[in-house]
Order: sequence, then C-alpha cells, then structure tokens
Amino acid sequence: MRLFGFMSALALVSGALTPAAAEDLDYFKKQLDPFRDKPGFTAPGEPFDAKACMQDKKILTIPITSTNPFNQNIHRGMEKAAAAVGFELVQWENQGQPTQWVQGMNHAINQKFDLIDLVGGTDPRVLVPQVEAAKAAGIPVVASHYSGLEQEVPNATHAVPIDYFKAGQLLVDWAVVETGGKLNALLMYTTGPLSTDSMMAGIDAELAKCPDCKVTKKNILVTDWATRTQPTVQAALLADPSINYVIVMYDSMSQFVVPAIEIVGARERAPIVTFNGTDFVIGFVQEGKVAMDIGENLDWVGYAIMDAEMRIVCGLEPVKDPKIPFYLFTKENAKDAGTPPQPSMGYGAAYVDGYLELWGVK
Amino acid sequence: MTTDTTTSEGRAAGGWDWNWIDFAERFGLVIAWAALIAVFGAIAPNTFLTWPNFSTIFGSQAVLVVVTLGIIIPLTAGDFDVSIANVMTLSSMIAGVLNVQYQVPIGWAILAAIGAGVLVGFVNGFFITVFRIHSLIVTLGTGTFVHGVTLWISDSMTISGISMNLVKYVMIERLFGIPLAFYYAVAVCAAIYYVFEFTAVGRRILFVGRGREVARLSGIRVNRVRWGCLMASSFLGATAGVMYAGTTGAADPVSGLSYMLPAFAAAFLGATSVIPGRFNPLGAMLAVYFLVTGITGLTMLGISTFVHELFYGGALVIAVTLSQLVSGRQERF
Repeated sequence: MRLFGFMSALALVSGALTPAAAEDLDYFKKQLDPFRDKPGFTAPGEPFDAKACMQDKKILTIPITSTNPFNQNIHRGMEKAAAAVGFELVQWENQGQPTQWVQGMNHAINQKFDLIDLVGGTDPRVLVPQVEAAKAAGIPVVASHYSGLEQEVPNATHAVPIDYFKAGQLLVDWAVVETGGKLNALLMYTTGPLSTDSMMAGIDAELAKCPDCKVTKKNILVTDWATRTQPTVQAALLADPSINYVIVMYDSMSQFVVPAIEIVGARERAPIVTFNGTDFVIGFVQEGKVAMDIGENLDWVGYAIMDAEMRIVCGLEPVKDPKIPFYLFTKENAKDAGTPPQPSMGYGAAYVDGYLELWGVK
Repeated sequence: MTTDTTTSEGRAAGGWDWNWIDFAERFGLVIAWAALIAVFGAIAPNTFLTWPNFSTIFGSQAVLVVVTLGIIIPLTAGDFDVSIANVMTLSSMIAGVLNVQYQVPIGWAILAAIGAGVLVGFVNGFFITVFRIHSLIVTLGTGTFVHGVTLWISDSMTISGISMNLVKYVMIERLFGIPLAFYYAVAVCAAIYYVFEFTAVGRRILFVGRGREVARLSGIRVNRVRWGCLMASSFLGATAGVMYAGTTGAADPVSGLSYMLPAFAAAFLGATSVIPGRFNPLGAMLAVYFLVTGITGLTMLGISTFVHELFYGGALVIAVTLSQLVSGRQERF
C-alpha cells in the first residue's frame, strides 16, 4: 500500500514536470512578458493642434467621488494636461451621491460646458434624464476609465475605455505560472462597475485555457469591503486548504485581504495577485504581502482621458483605444515606485513628452 | 423635556411687542440661508446666482427632503427609524426590477414598492411595540435585513432602463423651471405640517413623544400611535425611493444608503427653526436646503470635499448650540 502511495506521488510529481506541462505554461508566461518592461508611449491618434481648437473651451469632470485618491490622482494628470494646452477644466467635487452627480450634470448644461466627463466610475446609467438633457443641448457625455475596450457604455455618448479584459487575463496568467499550472484560486471581486464584467470575462477566458485550474468566487460590494472581506477570505481559506492563490480584482480591497491571510497563516500558501497599482498596495508588494500588482499610471490615465476628450471637442475621430499600458509590479521592481511608494512613480515619463508633442504644445 | 414656554410667554406678556429672541430663534436658519446665498452670490454671481442653479438644488434634493420628513414623524413620537434609507433603496430597486426585468407597468411597480415599504414599517412597529425593544435596535436590524433583500433581488447590480414615464413626472416635467419632484416634497411637507399642527392625531403624536406614560394615562393609545408613525416613516421612505428612481432613471443597490446621516442632520437642524425645540416639517425642509445650498456653493467654487464635511458637521453643531444659548433651554434634544 505504501509502495503504491509512493509510486502515485512519484507519478504526480513527474507528471507536473512533463515537457507538455512546461509548454502549456509557456503560453501564460508569454502573456506576461510584454508587461514586465517599462511602458513606452504609443500615440492613440493623429497629431492635432490642441491649443487652437481648445481655445475658449471648457470641460466639467464629475468623478465617482472626490474623496478617493484614485480619482484625485487621475484628476491631477488631467489638470496638468489642461494647463499645458490652456483650457478650463473644472472638477465637480462630490461624495459619491448620485444626486450630487445630477447637480453637476445640470450645472454643466446651465453653464454651457463643451463636454461632460464622468470619470472613474460615475455611472451614466443612473443619470438617464440628465444625459438626455445634455445630448439635447449638444454636450457630449463621456464615460472615462469605466468600461473595457470591448464594451458599450449604455447612456453615454462616448467612452474612454481601459483594457480591463487584458487585466483580468494577466491576473490569471500570473497565478497559473506561479502555481505551475495547478491553480486553485480564491477570486475576490466586486459587482457594480462595468469594468468588473470585462475583467471577469478576461479571467474566465484565461481559466478556460488551464484544464487543471479552478476558482472559488466571492463577491463583496465596495460598501462592504471593510466589514465583509476579512471574514469571507478567512472562511474560504479555512474551508479549502488547497487554495493556493488569492486573486483580488481591485487592489484597494487588499488591505482587508492581507490581514485575513496573515491570521490564517497562509501567506506562503496563498499569495495575492491584484490590479490597479495603488501606491499603498505597491508598498505591500515591497513588503512581500502581495506577490504582484498590475499597475496603471493614473497620471498617464489623466493625460489619455484629456487627449480623447479634446479630440471629441475638436470634432476629430474619437479614440477607440487610448493606449493606456499596464506594468507588472513585483518584489523586484516595486522599489522603483519610491519608498514609500508615490502615485504614478516607477512607470517612466515617456508619455508626458509624447502627449505634448502630439498636441503641438512642445 | 421640551416646552414652548419662551414663545408663548413672549407673546402673552408683550402682546404686539417685538420679541427679538423669539424671532431670531424661529427664523435664524432662514437668515443664515439668505446670508449664505448672498455670500456665494457675491463670489460667483454668474454661476451661483442663477435660476437654473436654484431649480437644480430644489429638484435634485427633493428625495433628501422626503427622507428627512419621514424621519421626523417617529422622532416626534420619540422613536428612531434608521431603516428608512434601506427602505428607500429597497423601494427603488423593487420598482426597477419589476418594471425592467419583469415588464410590470410602472404604476403597479410603484404600488408594489410602496407596499413593501409600508410592510417594513409594520414589522418595525410590531417588534418595537409588542416586544418593547428600543426602536434604534429594531430599525437597525430590519434596515440591515432589508439591505440584504435589496442585494438579493438586484443581484447586487444597477438596474437601468426604468420607464421614462416615471422620470418624466419626477425630473423632466417642470413648473416654474423646477422639476415636479420638488413640488411632491412640498406637498408632503404641507401634509405633515397640517397633521402636526391642526389635527388631534398630530397632538397625540407630540404628547407620546414628550411623555409616553403621561400620554398613556391621558387615554392615548401610545403603541398604536408609535406603530402608525413608524409605518408613515417607511411609507415616506418608499416614496422617496420611487422619486429616487425617477430622478436617476435607474436603481442601484447601495447609493441610497448615503442619505441616512444627511437626513438626520437636517432633521435635528430643522428642529432649531420655525417651531424651535420641536421636530417640524418646515424647519426640516429649510434645513435640507440650507445645507445643500452651502454644499453647492462650495462645490461651484471648487472647494475641496473636506470643507463640505466641515460645513455639514459644523453647521449642525453650531446651529443647535446657538439655539440653546439664545433660548436658555435645557435638554432640548
């Protein structure tokens, strides 16, 4: 019996190391490779004279809330871009209440802004009458950093999408490679934003390419992150001791996942991979609490949104893909983001000159 | 224990004598509101001091007014209803799910939404009066339960595509440039004012709130009054939910919950005005628009969000404190 057990174990080990398995892993490794180098600038469209056509134009931006650093960092990038070109950019400060967004929409219409930007999660689906009124007034309503490249945004005239599908794929690619193709993941996600649907589609698509991989999915709403995440993760890890990776869809949720893993004593068994590149989570990467964080440079995002929206205001061909790149932060390169990590650090600065030249202001 | 002695004494002793303290106490909030408008108007006359801006303020915050009005009914009877924002969210979600996913005509969907709200009020009243559990505990529990139901029926998703008829009669149709939602809120305010000031039911609610035992000994059916107030509160919460769905054209499972604290802040701030020392609908409505005017002005000036919080919290504490100082009353709230 013992001999049989030993032979079985030997077979399992040798099976995991067969050339076929290594070839299978190659696919996942190759998906990650392009995102290990510092991202370069790719122009999302033809050059144009932004200064000339944005003269006397004004854009109102309504963030999902003004109180989170994610939106503020994007806004800082947008402000720098607007200052370089020389047009008026106004942020409608709010605390995430849809009626405050309603007020912002009405303000933009009354004050005859040239474009309304719903940025970083402000949901145009809950602004139906206001978007209709804006359309009637000839004001484009753009949902930026809200949808995937393949998604249509209901009730907005334009979108500035992010490749969320790819981000979802990369999360799985990383975890599959790290577990040698034997991934048993706990996926923590959040329904509500359109981006979740896109990322989930990417995750599912990539998991389908890994026959030995499986996933347990847990949905926690943003409002419940602080209270529900930790007990949910703890219970899942205790219920299934074979879980060997935790995929956290949005990295700000990690602050509640990390203590759960620490309490269960599963840091070695179930590392975290996540998405967004929020500075404090890159700090977790530096400390070894998170294995990898897919970063997107929020300053770059700000420039990219402005580029796409200026093209709309100027009557140019709208951008379908703003070419906002991802970059993988691991223990090896996380220090590039500063100690402690700073927003938008560690990605290089190729985009700033790239955009300024594209707009004809440098 | 609160009394209206200052007001009545001032009038009785002075006849037509002008009582500045009484006046300042009653209309201090109105004066502060006017001052606020003047300041923001002077700083940003072209953006703030415009009728479209005020019509936006009046229309978009009508939901908050109705929630606040709902809260003051049980507060007057001495009970807290902290489930009202959850009822509001449930109501908007029921209307959305029935109308969008099950193609139920919007009228029936609204009736179902309001019926569900009233049912929650009935359950609140049942546990509070029959089992004599504190209203704060019961409504905290039922509110959380109701939130769970909302997430369940919505699958935690935003439901968009609600009938434009609802949107039309809440937000699109206007009278004097102000969306109809505002007039619904005014109608609710007037109805509550009438009941509180001119009916026996209103007096009973007040007596129950001021002293349950005294009210009971006076022959008032205290439990029935409290139960009714809780049902009325949930009814208005559900009504606010329907208006919320009409304001945004959609229903989402969480954002309505953020109305709870502003509504309580406005209820307490409103109790310092018009009929000082008493939760009253006119004061509550004034308080909502005072707070919203301040926030809107700060927003238009591009002032950072933390200042909004300072204004909200500071205005409430300062107003209540000044009211206490002016009147010299004890233990009003």
